[in-house]
Amino acid sequence: MSKKKKHFSLLLTTLLTISMALSACGGNNNTKNTTGTGGNNAAATNTTTDAPDTKPAEEPVELIWYTIGAPQKDLDKVMEEVNKYTLDKINATLDVKMIDFGDYTQKMQVMVASGEPMDILFTCSWAFDYVQNSRKGAFLQLDDLLKDQGKGIVDTIDPAFLEGSKVDGHNYAIPANKELPAQEVYRFNKELLDKYNLDLTSVKTLADLEPLLKTIKDNEPEITPYAMVKDFMPVMPFDYVIEKMPMAVYMDTKDYKVVNILETPEIKEALQTVRKFYQAGYISPEVATTTSVDDLYKAGKWFTDRAATQPMADNLWSASYGYPVVSTPAGQPYIYNWSVMGSMQAISANSEYPEKAMEFLNLLNTDPVLRNMIDSGIEGVHYEKISDNMIKNLPDAKNYDMPTFSLGNIMINYLNEGDPENKWEEFKTFNDSGINAPLLGFNFDTSNITNEIAAVQNVKEEFWAPLMTGSVDPDEYLAKANEKFKAAGLDNIIAEAQTQIDAWKAANNK
Amino acid sequence: MSAKPIKSRDFHQLSSVWNIVFNCIAGAFSLLCVFPFLFVVLISFTDEGALARDGYKLIPAKWSLEAYKYVFGTGDTLLRSYGVTIAVTVIGTMVSLLLISLYAYAISRKSFKYRKFFAFFAFFTMLFNGGLVPTYIIVTQMLGLKDSIWALVLPLAMNAFYIIILRTFYITSVPDPLIESAKIDGAGEFRTFLRIVLPLSLPGLATIGLFSTLGYWNDWFNALLYIDNPNLVPLQSMLMRIETSMQFILQNSQNSSLSLEALRSMPQDTSRMAMVVLATGPIIFAYPFFQRYFIQGLTVGAVKE
Amino acid sequence: MGKIGRSAKDIMRNKVLLFMVLPGTLWFLFFSYLPMVGTVIAFKEYRFSRDGFWASIIRSKWVGWDNFKFLFSTNDAFLITRNTILYNTAFIVLGLIMSVLLAVVLSEIANKKLAKLYQTGMFLPYFLSWVVVGYFAFSFLSSERGLLNQLFGSHISWYSESKYWPFIIIFVYLWKAVGYNSVVYLAAIMGIDKSLYEAAMIDGASKFQQIRNITLPLLNPIIIIMTLLAIGKIFYADFGLFYQVPRNSGTLYSVTNVIDTYVYRGLKTTGEIGMSTAAGLYQSVVGFVLVLASNYIVRKFDKDSALF
Repeated sequence: MSKKKKHFSLLLTTLLTISMALSACGGNNNTKNTTGTGGNNAAATNTTTDAPDTKPAEEPVELIWYTIGAPQKDLDKVMEEVNKYTLDKINATLDVKMIDFGDYTQKMQVMVASGEPMDILFTCSWAFDYVQNSRKGAFLQLDDLLKDQGKGIVDTIDPAFLEGSKVDGHNYAIPANKELPAQEVYRFNKELLDKYNLDLTSVKTLADLEPLLKTIKDNEPEITPYAMVKDFMPVMPFDYVIEKMPMAVYMDTKDYKVVNILETPEIKEALQTVRKFYQAGYISPEVATTTSVDDLYKAGKWFTDRAATQPMADNLWSASYGYPVVSTPAGQPYIYNWSVMGSMQAISANSEYPEKAMEFLNLLNTDPVLRNMIDSGIEGVHYEKISDNMIKNLPDAKNYDMPTFSLGNIMINYLNEGDPENKWEEFKTFNDSGINAPLLGFNFDTSNITNEIAAVQNVKEEFWAPLMTGSVDPDEYLAKANEKFKAAGLDNIIAEAQTQIDAWKAANNK
Repeated sequence: MSAKPIKSRDFHQLSSVWNIVFNCIAGAFSLLCVFPFLFVVLISFTDEGALARDGYKLIPAKWSLEAYKYVFGTGDTLLRSYGVTIAVTVIGTMVSLLLISLYAYAISRKSFKYRKFFAFFAFFTMLFNGGLVPTYIIVTQMLGLKDSIWALVLPLAMNAFYIIILRTFYITSVPDPLIESAKIDGAGEFRTFLRIVLPLSLPGLATIGLFSTLGYWNDWFNALLYIDNPNLVPLQSMLMRIETSMQFILQNSQNSSLSLEALRSMPQDTSRMAMVVLATGPIIFAYPFFQRYFIQGLTVGAVKE
Repeated sequence: MGKIGRSAKDIMRNKVLLFMVLPGTLWFLFFSYLPMVGTVIAFKEYRFSRDGFWASIIRSKWVGWDNFKFLFSTNDAFLITRNTILYNTAFIVLGLIMSVLLAVVLSEIANKKLAKLYQTGMFLPYFLSWVVVGYFAFSFLSSERGLLNQLFGSHISWYSESKYWPFIIIFVYLWKAVGYNSVVYLAAIMGIDKSLYEAAMIDGASKFQQIRNITLPLLNPIIIIMTLLAIGKIFYADFGLFYQVPRNSGTLYSVTNVIDTYVYRGLKTTGEIGMSTAAGLYQSVVGFVLVLASNYIVRKFDKDSALF
């Protein structure tokens, strides 16, 4: 038996060594290839200075950058310009690869696990998870680089971002300077609001919506009064240990006790309200499987819903729907872990040029010329300037439409035609109004309880949507769900979370 | 030469009542299968506003070509994707037919001493695989195929499932005595294979050829893994990318910046259906090419002389 | 010495056939067997390392069977295993009957043009991705606007009534797969020596006697092989069918949760590749054992039809 085992492990080691040796050769070839083909421009400008005695440090470096978003047709064209600029500024060029939103997590997981060469990569709380991958060792720890090459970043962006995105006390990525807190608002279709002369000032909670919804339901049979999707959850006074899982602490907690939210009176009350709405027909009967109500928005056949806001969001919504939308706050602007980690750029653990990568990120977050070029493309092709800091899209802009929020500091961007002059001041005000959620800075380490998480996750998916959208009777199903959660090991997770939170609390003098 | 088999099929006819019953069965099932596709085509020609207002309707209230204009508006990307898909499908089908037919032939021969070993060697891979990451490393780092058309061709070139099916076809449709007599006549393995086995197994080869063509045409996953260069992305992969990204954005709409920015450039329902139509249309026309081998049958008698 | 000599002789005698399997063997080595080394991740807590994948594997911590536990430690373990096996059994049996039936029907239709048309139609569902099939099913089953409720004036909330779903799932599967699978049987029928039918006609056999006594027995080998191969996949479920088509509706999980959807949902937050590899290994091993057992039984009855 043991002999067999020995044989097996011998075979395994041999195979491993062979494949490692082979992949090492392959890997080398690969890097040569990338620099060979991708660095054409750089090579062209550089051949003259390519004397044998040049120091290697002076050779331009090509940084491989994976970021999120639909691949853009004019990417190469814009990058040619960008590279001229960066070559001049920091003696580096970029090889940008865009991976679309839906593919990003999966593709990055495979590429990072396989050690694909890369320098900079996008990460956040909702795609290629930042905290987990930091812990698994995907990213380079940036504390020292930030002091040195990244000094500009530290000086420019809101310090709450760097502070809030620390994992176990270290920074692993540069957050984009954008809206810091997350705030929920109730949105309304203004045409209907005006038609029935409805007043928003009294709307503070979900229950306050009742009379308005009733008016719409009674008078407008064609309209869905509350446009809800299956991800809906009433605004609750909790900060969750893991988003949308039933472990949380109260927002105003002093002792940081982790509670099972299914056992709290608050959830019971909120769900009874939702259930009432559901039974009254304010919500679509199929809400528990509805992932999108986009068709309602397009046709203007909704009255209210809830959404996450940011400064001037009403304008953006109205512009994109083609009819006026107004909103009123549904909760406080809280700064959560996930809102701080909404968009970040990390340096890969296997980067060959971490200093250069940081130099580039520094430039991206502080230099308006570079930032705007990457965001909006080439002046005269994709946009034209209508004033010092305001631009207008040209028809070709559709060939270069980048997701602005994903590419670093948004507050040094030009304003778009129609934006108010004080747009970025509004953002700063909004950020200053943010209240720290109690668990800000605490990142749950799930490695001891992965089995429980897997089981609880399945229970959650089974019960969450029907329960939260009022599709089932909370009096009956809350208990049922709770029982199944417990059977799946929820109490173990809560105990583990409590231990970690207590340790974190002690370490941070909370 | 072609007159004789047709006559022999006349022999083989059903009474007219049963013929009608059989037509009904096949026709009904076929209709059931075509119906959704017609629906997709209809939606693609529906006006977006009408769709949002009335939902899916058999006869749309308002027709529109907007969806196709939108898809073609992406310009040369679409045509290039067609090019990539067609190239990969044609090259891939040829490569895989070659590899599979040879392998299957060898393990179908009773005289091959190692046939059981190689049959098992192939079969084992149907059940066990190393997972995504190791395969990715072999393809990109060892074989250096990243961002190359071969990364779309080679990973699908062999398939134990097809090999085993084709082996069964060889065994059942080529009688052993025929091979033995060819041997006695002094024909080598290759000659026997080309002259006797292949012509007799045309329905089987056409089946594998068809499966492999469809496999290549529909494949999007290899491109997701191995292709970064937008110019090498095949059609289905482009379609799938847009589809999954849309679902992803909708599921993460709690994220304000994501929903505000990304939703705006999202394609409409009708455009997505138009893409399904554009991605499926051409391959349906390729279908009859294979079909004649398993509907009309072969002039088997002529080959066997 | 003699042994080696004999082996060398064997190799020489089989060299042409060996040469024929060579390209395929190389392919299997590179694309299947070499990556299998990565299966050790199933027994590791995988963490990245700077020096690439293999170094990461070696440096990651051994965790024994821990990665497998999540498949068995829950109350859902029985449910997902039962669902996976029962659905696949239904797919294998019903799929086989319908595919063979359609193949026979198509082969007997007198008008070949019509037969081609029918067959082309049957193939179309294969081209629609599960996402699109999901939309389509929704346009039928939506409780507000769905065609079914409109047609029958009913108010059934399809996506929350689990009792209908075993039938819906099986129906949708057959709808999508039968046209594709019947091609294999159709091609096998076309490969049958026509003189057999002619001889039967002369003996006065009716059409149905021909089908029973010639067509079906000669289809036997391919039927057995297709079934054996399907048994190997009995622990795998088609993710899209069980996730997209029921719109991931929680109230239907008792009849739609299968191993693949369970693993997907369970690992969404933690993304442990060790655990997903473990799940895949578990599915493979069970399938492998089942195929070996079935193959053994087949060999007892019909040596030529067995897999190996």
